[in-house]
Amino acid sequence: MKQFAQWLSTTFLSIFMQKHNSWVIPTIQSIHIIGIGVVMGSVFVIDLRVLGWAWMDQTLRQTTSRFGPWLTAALCVQLTTGLLMVIGEPVRELVTFSFWLKMILVAVGTLIAVIFQITLRKHEQRWEETLVNRRSIQCLAILTFLIWVCIIILGRLIAYDHVWGSWSPAAKA
Amino acid sequence: MDSTAILKSLEASGLATRIRDALWLFPLIESTHVICLSLVFGTILIIDLRLLGIASTHRSFKQMASDILKWTWAAFALTALTGTLMFITNARVYYHNFFFRMKMLMLVLSGINMLIFELTAGRTIHRWDKDPSAPRAGKAVAALSLAMWIGIIIMGRLIGFTTTRAATLAPPPAGVNFDDFLQGTPDKTGETPTTQPERK
Repeated sequence: MKQFAQWLSTTFLSIFMQKHNSWVIPTIQSIHIIGIGVVMGSVFVIDLRVLGWAWMDQTLRQTTSRFGPWLTAALCVQLTTGLLMVIGEPVRELVTFSFWLKMILVAVGTLIAVIFQITLRKHEQRWEETLVNRRSIQCLAILTFLIWVCIIILGRLIAYDHVWGSWSPAAKA
Repeated sequence: MDSTAILKSLEASGLATRIRDALWLFPLIESTHVICLSLVFGTILIIDLRLLGIASTHRSFKQMASDILKWTWAAFALTALTGTLMFITNARVYYHNFFFRMKMLMLVLSGINMLIFELTAGRTIHRWDKDPSAPRAGKAVAALSLAMWIGIIIMGRLIGFTTTRAATLAPPPAGVNFDDFLQGTPDKTGETPTTQPERK
C-alpha cells in the first residue's frame, strides 16, 4: 500500500495538488466538511423520524423522499472530495489505520442507507404500520447514527494516526 | 490584566495543560467539534432551505422549527464548548490568527442575522407558516445565514492550517497511545512534551 501511495503521489493530478497545496487541500477539506453536514443532517432527521421524535406529521416514506436524495447527493460529494484528498496526499491518507477503518464504516453506513430505502419502497405499508415501532428497528436507527459519528471521528483521526500506536502502519515505517 | 496576560493564564490553566499532555484528548475534542458542527450546519440548512422555498415547502415552518431547532442549539452549545477547550490549549496563537478572528466575526454576524429574523419575518410566522417560502426578509436572512455558515466552516478549516503547521514537524509525543490502552499501562502524562502534535 505504501508503494501504491508513493506511485500515486507521482501522478499528474497529485503533483498539481501538491504544488497548489496551500489552497487546494483546504478548499477540498472544507467542501468535505460541508458535505458531512448534509449527510449528518439527513441521517439525523430520518433517524429521529424512525424514533418518533420529529417529523411525525409526515410518513416515513415522505421523510425519506425529502432527505434520501440529499443524502445520496452529499455522499457522492464526499466520495469525490475524499478521492481527491487521497490523490492529493496519498501517503498521509492511505498509510493510516484510521482511514481504512473509516472506509469499512462508510461501506456499512451506506449499505444500511441503501437497504433501508429499498425495503421501505417495497414494503411501505409494513414499515409505516409495524416495523417503525419495533424496538430492534429503533436500535438500528441509533446504531446507524453512531456509525456516522464514528466515521467523523476516524476521519479526524487520520491526522492523528499515531494515537493508535503500533496499529498505525505509519508507526512501522 | 491585559489580553496577553489573560490568554497566557488560560494556556497555563490545569485544564489546558491536561488537554495538551494527553495524546487522545485534543483529537477527541476536535472530533466532537466536527460532529456537532456538522449537525449545526445540517439542521440550519434544513430550516434555511424551507425559508427559501427550496425544500420541505409543504410543511408548517413552526412545526419544523420546533422539531429541529432544539437539536441545533444543543449541538451548537457542544460545538462552542469544544471550541473553547481547543482555544485555551493555544490561546495566544488562536487569538492572533486572522482566520480565527474572521470566524468569530462571522459567528457574531450570524447571531445578529438571527435577531433580524426574529424582528422581521419571525414576527409574522402565523401569516406565512403554510406558505411554500418565507417573505422576502426571511429569504434574505436564510441566504445570508447559509453563506455565513459556509464561511464559518471554511475559516475553521483554515485555522487548522495556519496555527499548527510548525508543530507538525515535531515527532509525536511519547505517551499513552492505543497500545498502552490495550495493555493497561498507567498514564505517563508528566513525560509528554507540551507541544501540540496536531497536523491540520
